[in-house]
Amino acid sequence: MKTKGTKSFSMGRLGAVAAVAFALVATTVPSAFSAGEVFGKSCTTEGVSTGTSSSSLICAPGANGKLTWARVRLGSAYGAPVAALTAGAGSIEFHHWRGAEDGKIFDEIIALFEARNPGAKIKQVTMPSGDYTNLAFSRIRSNPKAAVYATFRGAQFAQFAKGDMMTDLKNERFTKQNVIATGLTAGQYEGKQLGIPLHYLFNNPVYNTEIFAKEKWTPPTNFTGLLAWCKAARTAGYTPIAWSGGFRPNAGQMLNSMLMNSAPDYATLKQRIEDIDTGKADLQTAWFKDMAGRYKKMADANCFPDNATGVTDAAALNLFATGKSPVLPTGSFSMGAVKVLNPSMTGKMQLFSLITTDEKPQYVGIQNNTFILSVNKNSSGRDQKIARSFISFLMTGEIASIYANGTSQHVNVLNVTYTNQDLINTSIWQSKKTLLAPRFLWLNQGVRDLMEDSLIAIVGGKPIDATLEDYSKQIKQKLG
Amino acid sequence: MSGATRRTSKNRRSVQGSKTALYWMSAPALALYAFLFLFPVLSNFRYALMKWDGIDEGEFVGLANFKKLATDDDLATKVLGNNIEFMFWVVIFQTTLALLFATYLVKNSRASLFFRTLFFFPTILSSVSVAMIWLFLYDPNYGAINTTLIRLGLDSFALNWLGSETSALYAIIFVQVWFHTGQMMVIYIAGLQQIPAELYEAANVDGASRWQQFKSVTWPMALPTSAVVVAYTTIQSFRAFDLVYATTQGGPNNTTSILTTMIFQTAFNEFRFGYAASQSIIMIIMIFLITGLQRRILRTRY
Repeated sequence: MKTKGTKSFSMGRLGAVAAVAFALVATTVPSAFSAGEVFGKSCTTEGVSTGTSSSSLICAPGANGKLTWARVRLGSAYGAPVAALTAGAGSIEFHHWRGAEDGKIFDEIIALFEARNPGAKIKQVTMPSGDYTNLAFSRIRSNPKAAVYATFRGAQFAQFAKGDMMTDLKNERFTKQNVIATGLTAGQYEGKQLGIPLHYLFNNPVYNTEIFAKEKWTPPTNFTGLLAWCKAARTAGYTPIAWSGGFRPNAGQMLNSMLMNSAPDYATLKQRIEDIDTGKADLQTAWFKDMAGRYKKMADANCFPDNATGVTDAAALNLFATGKSPVLPTGSFSMGAVKVLNPSMTGKMQLFSLITTDEKPQYVGIQNNTFILSVNKNSSGRDQKIARSFISFLMTGEIASIYANGTSQHVNVLNVTYTNQDLINTSIWQSKKTLLAPRFLWLNQGVRDLMEDSLIAIVGGKPIDATLEDYSKQIKQKLG
Repeated sequence: MSGATRRTSKNRRSVQGSKTALYWMSAPALALYAFLFLFPVLSNFRYALMKWDGIDEGEFVGLANFKKLATDDDLATKVLGNNIEFMFWVVIFQTTLALLFATYLVKNSRASLFFRTLFFFPTILSSVSVAMIWLFLYDPNYGAINTTLIRLGLDSFALNWLGSETSALYAIIFVQVWFHTGQMMVIYIAGLQQIPAELYEAANVDGASRWQQFKSVTWPMALPTSAVVVAYTTIQSFRAFDLVYATTQGGPNNTTSILTTMIFQTAFNEFRFGYAASQSIIMIIMIFLITGLQRRILRTRY
C-alpha cells in the first residue's frame, strides 16, 4: 500500500510540478519579469503584449473586468512541446482545400519533412474549398493513399467522423503538449480526438486601417453607430462593406458576426441553431426574423455594394484590396489573398468588430478552429505512421511558424513566433472575448445553404416576411 | 460421307469456332462495360428505393422518394421548370445560329475558315474558364458589359445579370449558346457539305431565290443533321452542370439551378444519396422523352 501510495504521489505530483514549472518557463521567458509584466498582475494598456510568441503575456481584461497580464498560450500540456515523430519510408497524399493560398508554403514544409525523414514522400492534392466541401468525403474514402487530410469544422468534420475515417490522436504527446488546448475541441467527436485544428482564425471582418486613419473613423461599437458609419463611408465615396452576396460561402461569413450577440448566452444560441437545423423551429422564429431585419437595416443604410447579390468573392476582394471599400466581411484568412492582390496592404489591416446590438455586447469577435488535420483510418499502418509524423511535424513551433508567417494565418500551436506584421497586429484578438464561429453549428449543409440564401435575398430587396416563409417551407420539405 | 459434305461440316465447325472466339474476344470489353456502366446504372435504381446517406446502411423505402419528388418538393418542381426553360431557349438559339453560321461558312474559302475557327474557338475552352470570363464580364458594378452600356447612356439596360432572379437564367443561357454554337456549326457544315451541288444548280436554273433554296433544298436536306444537333444540344442543356456551378452555384434563390446541380447538391452537399438517385432517374426519363419527341417531330419531316 505504501509503495502504491508513493508511486501514486510521485506520478500525480510529478505531473503537477512539471506542469507548473513548464507554465512558469513558458509564460515568463524571455522578458516578462524583466519588464515587470507578471502573469496575473494588473496592467494598464489593453492589447500590449510581451512578445510575439504564443507563450507571451498579453494585457487583457480578466474575469473581473480588470486588465491583467494573461497568457496568450492556453495549453493544457503536461510538459514542454515535443519534437516531431519519425516517419518511415513510403509515400502518402495530403488532401486539403487551400492549394491556391497555402500550396507553396506546404511545398516548402513538405520538402523539409522529406529531408528530415528520408524515404518519406508526401504529395499535396488540393481542390477549391467549394468542391472540397462536396467531394472530399467520397474521394478520400475510396483512396487509402490519402493518409492525411484536412476538414472544415462543423458538417464536414462530423461527416468524416460518422464515416469512421479518422484515427484517434488523443494519446499522442504532440496533441497534449504542442497544441493550444481550447483549439482541440473542434477536432473532438464522441470522446475521441479525431483531428487537430491547425488554424486559429478570426471570422471577423477585416478593415483597412489606413483609410480609417485618413477619414478619422474609429470602428463603431454598436449597431446604431455601424449604420451611421455606413452612411458616412458611402458619403465619402466608399463601398462601406465589400460583401459578396453573389458567392454564398463567403457571404455567409458575416453571419457569424450577425449571430454573435443575438442570444443571451452561447447555450441558447446553440440550441436555437440546432432547432432550425433539425426542423424544430423555422426561419420565421422571432430571433431569426430580428437578425434578418438587421441585414435589411444594413442594406438600407447602404452598407453593402450596389447590386450586392451579384458581387462575386473576387470582386469583393478587389474592392477591398484597391481601397474602394474599407471593410471586407470575411475573416483573418483573407489577409493573405489581399496582400497578393496589393502587397502595399501589408501591415494596414486589422480586425473589425461587427456589433449588431445597441446593448453591451457579450462578444466582440469571432474565432474559429478549423483546417482540422486527421489521419485516414483506411490507410495502411505504414502510411498512417507517415501521416501521424507529418501532423506532429506541423505541430512543432518551428514549422508552425513557417506556415503561419507564410500564410498570414494564426495557428493553434504552442511556441509559435509570429513575425508577419499582420499577424502581430491581430494577435491582440487572441485575448479578446470572442465566440467560436456559430455558423458551423449548422450541421445540415442543405439547411444552412437555404438559410443563408434567405438572408442574401433579403439584402437583395425581397420582403422579410415572405422570404422567410418561402425558405422555411423549402427547409421543411428538405428535412421531411 | 462425300468430300463435299465433310468440307461443309468442317466449314460449319470453323464458323462456329470463329463465333465462339469472337464472343471470347469481346468478353473483356463487355465485362468492363458491365462493371463501369451497367452496374452503376442498376445500382442507381436500387438506391432510388432507399433512404441512404452514403455512410450508414440504407433503409428500403420503396417508391417514397419518387412520391416526395412528385408531391412534396417545390424546389424540384422549380428546378425542372428551370431546366426545361434553359433547354428550350438553348436549343432554339444554338440550333438556329449554328445553322445560320454553317450556311454562310459552308464553302472552304479563307474567310470561311477564319470565321469557322473564330466561332469554334470557345468550344476548346474549359467550362470553368468560360464561367470565370463571363463572371468578370457580367459583374454588375465593374464588368465590361455594364460599363459599356453605361458609357453609351444605356443605364437602364445595365442589369445585375447574375445576381437578379429575373435575369440570371437568361444570362447563363447566353453563355451556353456562345460556348457551344461553334461546335454545332461544325456538325452542320459537315452535313451541308453532303448536299449534292446539282440540287442548288437545278434550283438556280429554276430561278429560286436564296431563301427559296434554303427552304426547299438546304433545310430538308439538313434535317437528319438537325435531328443530331437538336438531340445533342438537348442533352448538353441537361448536363450544363459545370457552367452553372461555376457561375452561380444555382443561385440566386435557385433560379439557375438545373437538374444536375440539384442532384449534385442533394447527394454531395446534403448526403441524401437515395433521393439524389431518384432525381437522376427522373432526369434520365426527361431526356428520353424530350429527345424522343424531338426525333419524332423531325422524322415526320424527312
